[in-house]
Amino acid sequence: MSSTAIPASSVPARPGSLRANWRVFWHGGRISYAALFNWARPSIYIPTLLGAPTFQILFFAALGNYATGMDPSFFAIGNAVQVCAMSGIYGMTMAVANERWFGTLPAILASPANRAALFGGRFIPFIANGLLVSAYGFALCWIVLGVRFDLATLGIMALAMVATAFSCSAIGAVQGGLSLRLRDGLFGANLLVFLFLLLCGVNIPLSYLPGWMQAVSQVLPFTHGLEAVRQAIDGAGLAEVGGLIAIEAFIGLCYAVAAFFLFRWLERSAYRNATLDVR
Amino acid sequence: MSGLLAAARSNARHVARVWQFTMKIFMISDFFILTAVVQPIIFASIAYFLFEIGGDAAGEQTLLYAALGTGMMGVWSTTLFGGGGAIAWQRWEGTLELLVSAPRRYDLTLLGQTLATATFGFWSMIATLAWGVLLFGMPLNANYPLLLPVALLAAIIGLGVMGMLLGTTFVLYRHANALSNLLEYPVWIATGMVVPLALLPVWLGPVSWVLVPTWGMAAIRGAAIGTEPPWLAIAMNLVLAVAYYLIARRVLVHVIDKARRDATLSLA
Repeated sequence: MSSTAIPASSVPARPGSLRANWRVFWHGGRISYAALFNWARPSIYIPTLLGAPTFQILFFAALGNYATGMDPSFFAIGNAVQVCAMSGIYGMTMAVANERWFGTLPAILASPANRAALFGGRFIPFIANGLLVSAYGFALCWIVLGVRFDLATLGIMALAMVATAFSCSAIGAVQGGLSLRLRDGLFGANLLVFLFLLLCGVNIPLSYLPGWMQAVSQVLPFTHGLEAVRQAIDGAGLAEVGGLIAIEAFIGLCYAVAAFFLFRWLERSAYRNATLDVR
Repeated sequence: MSGLLAAARSNARHVARVWQFTMKIFMISDFFILTAVVQPIIFASIAYFLFEIGGDAAGEQTLLYAALGTGMMGVWSTTLFGGGGAIAWQRWEGTLELLVSAPRRYDLTLLGQTLATATFGFWSMIATLAWGVLLFGMPLNANYPLLLPVALLAAIIGLGVMGMLLGTTFVLYRHANALSNLLEYPVWIATGMVVPLALLPVWLGPVSWVLVPTWGMAAIRGAAIGTEPPWLAIAMNLVLAVAYYLIARRVLVHVIDKARRDATLSLA
């Protein structure tokens, strides 16, 4: 009798069971990251997700300080948070839209996998990736620009970052869903990333924006999460910034739900119109 | 002599045709419209708001300074992505072998493409100037209006040839797009597009001198809001363009020869 243990993942799980859904969520998410995220390899990851954010932070710190006379740390922190969009927006767009471009969409949609697990699993690697890129950005702020962080509120800052990375990935998922229908999905992704720089308090304090821009910023990711990060760095506790973090998480949840229903609607519409794999 | 002249005219016609064809392609490309029009408008808005907060840090003509700077940022982005990816895209589209084996010199074809890239990039400047006038009431005037077209032409030539150099060198790296993503912000910083070089570390000075966008920016800004005619900057654009072309051509010959020897011309 062989003593070779059967790997847990090869044990068959009843379709629809909790274990099957967990596998779709966890392993599916991991595999989709490795297979669909074009930038996952080091030769692209390092220049794009570490190199570009480095210079983005330095550029806006220099421009902001020159143009306004404000401390460069305001701009450095804003951009250190915003760079998680590189993973959240582009990554989630690729994680959904590349299924079509790589020809795997029909197989995914033909499978009996739970759609919520299938869709939700894609968020985890990109949230983690976004947090890593922002952590690198904060380290850069600390080393190069001398930004100081309060150790006592580091946990709160991390919590605000998790909520921000989630909401950012959620709007990225909406963009990914739209990309299933568009000729060039990355157009919208690029546009979102640039708009965050303008509207979410990353570089311009919200009070200086016109009223309509302030109104738009309230329903976008980053605005509340970034404010929570800024306040936590200044020493605010959970009692002060908990509300901002909750709003950021709620905005993320709304986008995630919208993305899920958009995906389901596109799926049904693709079946109906035989446009599943149309490019 | 007349043979040389006829050859030069024929080459110029070839470059012009490729330029025209590439411009048509860019006109319907979502990506290049975003890079050359939408992105510069967003960056110009950020710069306008920031300078407004600071109370016009760049002097009387702050808005025009910001519009020209952010416009030039868009020109650089378009040149970087268009020029840097020129050969790589031909590989993906499967047209590289045809172009290389055509009787026409391939370096001239590439030059036409990258000149078109730089020219298309100048939509950025039109976009940011129009944005400034319409939304921020920016006064539009030039201290040396007759020199402005000369400065623009010199900048287009300089940036176009730099695009050719980028294309020939980036193709040596498997992921040319990643290099383009990396090099957008550093050149914005190192060439003083919106932050004067005098405020940046001293060692960036010599780096900026060999980058043609520095002189392109200086020529256009000099003609628009400068106190002296920007002859030096215009001349430096042309001198660097010649130097870049010679280097690019040498690299191109080496790359194409190597690709032919190793039978990797079409392998991305």
